Amino acid sequence: MWRMVQRAVVLTLAGAVLGLVANAVSPRGIPYRTPPKVVAPPGDYIPFAEARQLWEEGVAVFLDARSHADYMAGHIANAFSLPTDEFEARYPEVAGMLAPDSPIVAYCDGADCDLSHHLAKRLRDLGFRDVRILKNGWTEWRKAALATSTGAQP
Amino acid sequence: MKWLNLVLRWLLGGFFVYAGVAKIIDPAGFAKNIANYQMLPHDYVNLLAITLPWIEVVPGLLLMAGIWRRPSALAIAGMLVVFIIAIGSALSRGLNINCGCTGTVGGATIGLTKIAENIGWFAMAIWLIWKERD
Repeated sequence: MWRMVQRAVVLTLAGAVLGLVANAVSPRGIPYRTPPKVVAPPGDYIPFAEARQLWEEGVAVFLDARSHADYMAGHIANAFSLPTDEFEARYPEVAGMLAPDSPIVAYCDGADCDLSHHLAKRLRDLGFRDVRILKNGWTEWRKAALATSTGAQP
Repeated sequence: MKWLNLVLRWLLGGFFVYAGVAKIIDPAGFAKNIANYQMLPHDYVNLLAITLPWIEVVPGLLLMAGIWRRPSALAIAGMLVVFIIAIGSALSRGLNINCGCTGTVGGATIGLTKIAENIGWFAMAIWLIWKERD
């Protein structure tokens, strides 16, 4: 009985070692440590400092991907509301502000929030070439104590 | 009895070799399957995807070859217990995911049928542990 258990453990370890070795030599090998989850390609994110600079220079259009109610309760100053969930209905309100080459910064709230990713994708599909995502935008913006406002579109 | 044991060893061993090889062919796909279960810390998903297929193939081959039959059957029985728990846990959390049982081949989703299948394989493994020698 005991010998059977020992041997079963040996088999399991042997299998694990074989797997590690096979992975090292296989052309289909994968990293031993799982690579971090990538929600958007790194180039799609805009570093906070750069976003802040674009905002201060007034070069980029900031779009809030959260619900309209969240936007009314507080948003990055001069940002426009374009909720991912109401894209069709609200897009005409901001369309006049956007040119195919305008730098656009989409944001939502929370590191895991993917509303801005969906928004960025919709905009890219419409032909906007310079759409980037400010990760965890609303939280980061408040943390940096930068200008915010409440209520309807500017 | 001898014939029955031989048939069971080939069935069970063959199935594990098949399931393992199917996963070895597409480690990246299998890693995604594991990740879908949301049971393992993200960092270790690949490590399991790399090792588990071979941990299945080794006792599968030995069972077919008739070497270390009872230890091989025990290793397989142990894995089946883990698989049954994993599928049960995923079902209870309402996940509708690909089983990953035979890698990305076949593409069966998890369900009570999968648990029943695994219980069937488990019964074979127990029989072999009980009735085989060596």
